[in-house]
Amino acid sequence: MPAKYHIHVRSVPPRFSPLAKNTIIDWAEGCLRCARCVKEQCPVDAYRKRGFDRSQFVDTIDQLCRDCYRCVQGCPRELIFKASNPQYSRIGNEYWTPEILAATWYQAESGKIPVSGAGYGGPFSGPGFDSFWTDMSEIVRPTRDGIHGREYISTSVDVGRKPMFLTFDSDGELTWPSPPLLELPLPILLAAPSLGANPGNIQDIITHAALELGTLAIVARERLTAIPKKTASLVMPSYTAGSLDLNDPLLAQVRIMEVLDHPGVLEQMEMVKKRYPDLIISVKVPADGGVVDRVAELTAAGAEAVHVYASEEARGLGESQGMHLKDLIRRCHLKLVENKLRDTVTLLVSGGIALAEHVAKAIICGADAIIADLPLLLALECRLCRQCTKGGKCPVEIDTLTVRRGAQRMVNLVGAWNNQLLEIMGAMGMREVRRLRGEVGRAMFIEDLEKEIFAPLFANREGELTKREPT
Amino acid sequence: MSMEVVVFACQQAVPEPEAVKSLWRGGEVRLRVLPEPCSSKIEAFQLLRTLATPVDLVWVISCEEHICRYDEGSHRAGGRMAYTKKYLAEIGLEPARVGRSVLTPGDKSALAAIVAEISGRVQALGSSPLRQAPKAAARRSAK
Ligand code: SF4
Ligand code: SF4
Repeated sequence: MPAKYHIHVRSVPPRFSPLAKNTIIDWAEGCLRCARCVKEQCPVDAYRKRGFDRSQFVDTIDQLCRDCYRCVQGCPRELIFKASNPQYSRIGNEYWTPEILAATWYQAESGKIPVSGAGYGGPFSGPGFDSFWTDMSEIVRPTRDGIHGREYISTSVDVGRKPMFLTFDSDGELTWPSPPLLELPLPILLAAPSLGANPGNIQDIITHAALELGTLAIVARERLTAIPKKTASLVMPSYTAGSLDLNDPLLAQVRIMEVLDHPGVLEQMEMVKKRYPDLIISVKVPADGGVVDRVAELTAAGAEAVHVYASEEARGLGESQGMHLKDLIRRCHLKLVENKLRDTVTLLVSGGIALAEHVAKAIICGADAIIADLPLLLALECRLCRQCTKGGKCPVEIDTLTVRRGAQRMVNLVGAWNNQLLEIMGAMGMREVRRLRGEVGRAMFIEDLEKEIFAPLFANREGELTKREPT
Repeated sequence: MSMEVVVFACQQAVPEPEAVKSLWRGGEVRLRVLPEPCSSKIEAFQLLRTLATPVDLVWVISCEEHICRYDEGSHRAGGRMAYTKKYLAEIGLEPARVGRSVLTPGDKSALAAIVAEISGRVQALGSSPLRQAPKAAARRSAK
């Protein structure tokens, strides 16, 4: 049995105090000078340890506070309050919510799974990835490795084309060479995000993190200069139609490359393959109205991997704007199944993968692996203020971050995600992430539940009023 | 030397901090607007520490006292401002480097007047003397 894959997480405290969800309002004036002040009874000693963050002009008590409300409830003059922090609620956007940002920062700092002990207070279901649940019915019999010392759960995936059959000659030898295949220890590839202060530095950090994790780093070709030999095997240069040059020395160094889809991509692929037969080529296809047919067409023509990319908010592009990435993945997957080609190609997806559960859910919908981009930037403490896109100053100085520090935060984030994937699979009773692909039978979709369970229970008989009439 | 103003704005009084920025005519002077749940969130030590960063002017925008959502919040913010000014005078710094305005939420012309006042104040005061000796000042304020 191969050695167990393990991600080495290590605490990397933030350089800038992360914005806290709630803030303390401490009036102080009118204090009775009680013999035992509630502030001295704070379980985390927040009032004594509080300081001042010079870069953000904030009182650091909010980062220390654990929201137990002991001081709020205990002050006899009611001089202490807790309120929502408007600086926190303003970060991110509707999709990349403050909660997602805060959870990502926590995971990047600690490498641990964020656990909330106060129960789940959110809605029953929501749009996109929140519209279905994984079936955790095996949670009583967890197969999770590590903590329980039980069966090993494999998160390895293959990237490349798999032949549907093999042929042998009379000596029992394969009649044709098997196509190149790359085994990754986890179904997560890293890619440079579309924004970020000092993109060159961010790209170095990503490459370093990929090396540490044993996965691939997708980097735009024009951003790559000479790369060291040990890094070359984990770099996946991304080309546009025009930038792909057969004489590019990098093609001889790397094991896999990506090219943006264009009308002549098949011919281009063939030329590259002829010269570099061991190179795996992935075609990057926009998740637009034609994506399903295009993925099928490319697969039928021999593509080894296809990368479907959606918007930052996990929506389709162009005519498919109204569709969520999960539905687009599902359609591509089913089309390949229908064409009996599903196992030949590797389906990679990106865009809006924001949480660990999205990794599992994208795979359940039919992806082989996901590509993380924006969360990697968030791991570096990014506030998603987009100042860097307007030439402004990055409030968390990502441009000055050291590669070592940044890479460890990314490793921590991916470590926490991978652990959550293991937890999900353990609770589902699965031991192979390869088997999770397309396993919708092990997921519950809200539209099915509404139809099959809730509709018969809550349907109104004809003519019955839906609401009680006011009397 | 470029100057900087920090405005702590009650979110009830200024629901859109961007509005303050769009009204800003301070030229080269950098403006930072930090939304707060109530102006009484800002304690005297935070005003002093912000000033010692160094920042050239620190301003607090509160609601009118009778409409404060926290009842006494705006009033208390006023008390803290008075205390901070007194303290600054005692240690030999200009009390005018901190200031406060009250506002009825939604009163656009009053907000514009406040922004103009802030900008006028910082231009009149010029660069903070703490910029010349930031280390000594930071040491003093840390005590
Ligand atoms: S709410 Fe609890 S943790 Fe927070 S400051 Fe008060 S006593 Fe400390
Ligand atoms: S914090 Fe803002 S400026 Fe810095 S990288 Fe993130 S989006 Fe860009």
